[in-house]
Parts: sequence; C-alpha cells; structure tokens
Amino acid sequence: MRVLVTGMGGEVGTRVAQLLEEHDEVTEIAGCDYVPPRRRLRRSEFKRIDPRDRDRLVAFVTDFAPHAVAHFGIYEPDSRLSPREAARASEACTVHALGAAARAGSLQHVVVRSGLSVYGRGRGRALMPAEDAPIAPNNAWGRLLLEVELLAAGIARRHDVTVCALRYATIAGSHVPSPLGRVLRLPTVPVPALADPPFSLLGRDDAARAMVEALLRGHDGPLNVVGPGATSPWQAVRFGNRLPLPVEGPGWRLARRLTELLGAPLPDHVCDILRRGLTGDGTRAYEVLDLGFVRPTQEVLADLYAWATVTPIVEATRRVA
Amino acid sequence: MSTSAVTDGRAPTAIAPNYGIDADRVLTVDDPIRWLLRRLDGRFAVDEFGGDPHLMDLLAPVPAAAIRVEVEEAHRLPRAGAALLVSNRGIGLAEPFVLGLAVRRAVRRRLRVVGLPSLPVIRPLFQKLGAIGYSPNDVAAMLRAGHLLAAPLGMTWLRAGAGEPPRSLLAAALGFPVIPVAVCQGGLFGTSPGVWPTAPWRVVIGEPMLPPPGTDPHDQLAAAELAEQVRDAVRALLDQSREP
Repeated sequence: MRVLVTGMGGEVGTRVAQLLEEHDEVTEIAGCDYVPPRRRLRRSEFKRIDPRDRDRLVAFVTDFAPHAVAHFGIYEPDSRLSPREAARASEACTVHALGAAARAGSLQHVVVRSGLSVYGRGRGRALMPAEDAPIAPNNAWGRLLLEVELLAAGIARRHDVTVCALRYATIAGSHVPSPLGRVLRLPTVPVPALADPPFSLLGRDDAARAMVEALLRGHDGPLNVVGPGATSPWQAVRFGNRLPLPVEGPGWRLARRLTELLGAPLPDHVCDILRRGLTGDGTRAYEVLDLGFVRPTQEVLADLYAWATVTPIVEATRRVA
Repeated sequence: MSTSAVTDGRAPTAIAPNYGIDADRVLTVDDPIRWLLRRLDGRFAVDEFGGDPHLMDLLAPVPAAAIRVEVEEAHRLPRAGAALLVSNRGIGLAEPFVLGLAVRRAVRRRLRVVGLPSLPVIRPLFQKLGAIGYSPNDVAAMLRAGHLLAAPLGMTWLRAGAGEPPRSLLAAALGFPVIPVAVCQGGLFGTSPGVWPTAPWRVVIGEPMLPPPGTDPHDQLAAAELAEQVRDAVRALLDQSREP
C-alpha cells in the first residue's frame, strides 16, 4: 500500500509517518509540507512543497499515485500560520492534494484530520456530541474543518473511495505547537469569570495512532477521537501554577490583545474553548479503531506544563568529553 | 418490603481520593486544609460533562444536613454501570437533591441529574455539581460513559402524581436499564400540604425495566411504549407508598 501523508512536517504528521514505517503492508510512504519533518524518518520520502504551490503539489502527488491519503495538511490558525494564511493553505492542500490523488487512479481510502469544533458549542447544542450530533460550527476553525470534510466527501462520491474524518479533541503537549497550549503556558491566563466549561485534550501519539489505525482499517465515516476525562480553564491554570485572570464580556477583546502582546495569540476557536469548552463522545472510535489506552486529558495537561531540564552547553560538552 | 441499604449499614466503604478519572464513585473527602490546597494547586479533575467530583463530595453533606431521606428497595440500584432513574417531581427543586442523597447513601455513587436550565451562573455552578441540560445526545453519551442518571417526569406542582414521561430522553436511553423511582415528599422543602416539617422524604426504587431484547436503539415506538410503562410504574410506586 502506498500512503501519502500531507502535512508531514507537523508534529502529528511526522509521528504518523514514523508509525506507518513500522507496518510491512505499507510499502511506500511519501509526504509533503512547507516545513521539514520534526524527526528522523527511515523509509519515508519527503518533499518540501508549499501547499499553495499548486503545480508542484499536483505533480508530486500524481507521480506517487497513492492508495491511501493521511490528510494532515490542515493548519490550525495561529499554530504556525496566521488565521488567514492557515485557511488558505488548508484549502489549497485539500483541493490540490486530494484532487490529484483521486485523479491518479489508485486511491481507495482517505483519512482527514478534523476536529470537535465542527459541532459548535452554545445554547441547545450537545455538551458531549457523538458523531451523529448536528453539525453547526461557530468559529472559523470549525467552519474550515467542516469545509475540508465536505471537500473530501465530494471527492469520495465522485471517485468511489472511502473517507474517514477524525474529529480530534484539541491536540496538545509540550512539543506540539498549539495556540491553546501557548496561552495556557502564559504566566497569567484569561479565564471566564462566571463559568468553568470542560474541554478535552489529546496527546500527539494518540492522535497519530488513531490516524494510522483509520488508514489501515479503511473505516468510512466520521469518528471522534477524544481521551478520557477533561479539564477546565480554572483547573488547568492552577495545575500549571499560573495566575488566572477572570474575564467577562468585552474584557475578552482586551485579553486577546494582551495575550498577543505576550506572544500567544488567542484565535477565535481557542477563545471559544476557554469560554464554552470543547468535549466529545469518543466511544465509537475506541471500538472501531481498537485504540486501547488513550492518555487522559489530565496526563496531556501535565505533559503540556512539563519542560525538560535545561542543560547549559558548556556542562553538556564537559559531560560528553 | 425491604428497607434501605443505609439503615442496614451495608453501604460499601469509600476508596481513597484520587480525583483523577473516576467521576462515578464517591470518594473520601479531604480534610479542609488539604481540600483547599488541592483546589489551589489544581490537583483535581473535571469530567467531560463539566462535573467536578471533588466539589461534589465536599458539598454533599450540605443537603444531607437539611433533608432527611429514607430509601426503600435500595438493592435495586446498580452498584456499577449505567442506568437511568425516572422519578416524579412536584416543582422539581428539592427532588434532585433527595435522589442524589438516596443514591449516595445506598450505593455510594454520584447521581447525575438531567434538566438543568440554561441560566448564566446557575448552569455552570450546577454543572460542576453533576447536572446536565435536557439533551438526549448528552444523556446517551453519559450512559455510554457508565454513569447513573436521573431524569424527571413532568412537573405536577402541588399535586402528588406522575407527570409526562421524558420521551426523547428515554429514546436516547434505549438499551440501558431504566429504573422507575417514586419520591414521596417530606418536610423541609416538600410542597405537599399536611406534611409534618420533620417528616423524612421517602424514595422508593422500582424494578429496572428494559425494552424487549433485540429492540433497535433508534426505535421510537419502543421508546414511547417504555415511556408509558415507566410512568405507570412510578404511579404504582406512589400509590403503593401511600398505603398504610
């Protein structure tokens, strides 16, 4: 099986490639991204291509003619790209890579990275949506994820391939470039003054494992991928030994300016997580993908605040010598 | 009629606090200083539904001090696994506390109550204490997560009886045990005229009910039939509890 991993330069994309390399049935792995992979890959082929460079991307994918696509070329706003650039890159990568893969003629299965933000939060919406809950995103990130799902579904209809959308909880960890993670690691973190909504976090390895299982099993349809348990803004902030800054109403606008000045922009979807929470029912994914142990949110939170001990270069050199 | 597990002294012992993942079983409460330190350090967990087990266990003795509760047929309450309790209610303010106390005492589990109104401040606060809104999706998710839930029949105000059954919630609960429960009003917060102020509330647990084997989980007719059966069962329990 030839597998294409779009967004292979990201933390999760690189990990997906590493895990795929362990499977003998995956004969060839190719990937592309605008940044190089985060870790060493042994038998994956990587091409550094900006997803907005249509001609190069289409030529690369057409030449590879994948049987399956792990579509991680969906960029979270303010993760590495600005919200506008992230939306443009995600749309371009979806349309060009998936379109070229389908036209190449060998494609059988696509797994798309999506998120719980597609369900939306607010009055009358489920607190813990399952896959069959109504879809009504209420921020730009949720709408982008839904658009990607719809584009993939359109390709599936035209070319008779199966599509699985993995609706991830917020992926976080000490090495994952996540806007929520950056905000939670600020010395002072804005939290809702009159609420404390729950949100779930998912570890990088679990996200990657779910993607690989979905690829190998060829599941058709959406799946929520959520770790057990949850946290809340107040609990997370105190757990990280940070100072909570209670905010309400128009104060959020000021808080967003402040966090941006401190180097951690607060995009709409992260603001929504802090104000309204974000969880989902991942029972089906556990059964269908046989995920086994998934790290609980509290462990991922601990990992988010865990930093490796800094060893001065002089001391390290002395030790090696 | 057997009496409650509480009065029998057969309630299982509490396990040591972990406040990590288990949002179902009642844990030993920290002493006040440790409790405060734990809150300040953020060493507690919230569950996916916004429930805060640490806070729930701390505040549980507050209604227990004000409301006297007697539980009958407590052995019918499951000690583990998901189930939906369906009970009558007058105005519906005191009944959730009464049911929660009954379940805590009988099987040392935390009861999650369905039907929280969407009001600012009130909703987040009671969500922390284990309540959720009137959402079939959330009820189904909570049952899949193995919780013990309580959903009320329609309000009967000052009249004692069984109100309209929550059909959409029962449809979401198909496949899980549904347990009819009669809550007989007592003193303090009870609304029935003629009830002595010190009289205890009585909670009578009915036989668990399930739709016929092989029922499709989306079968609306089965859900409607189950709803009628549950209302009849609650009514029968209420009648039975009034008999001298």
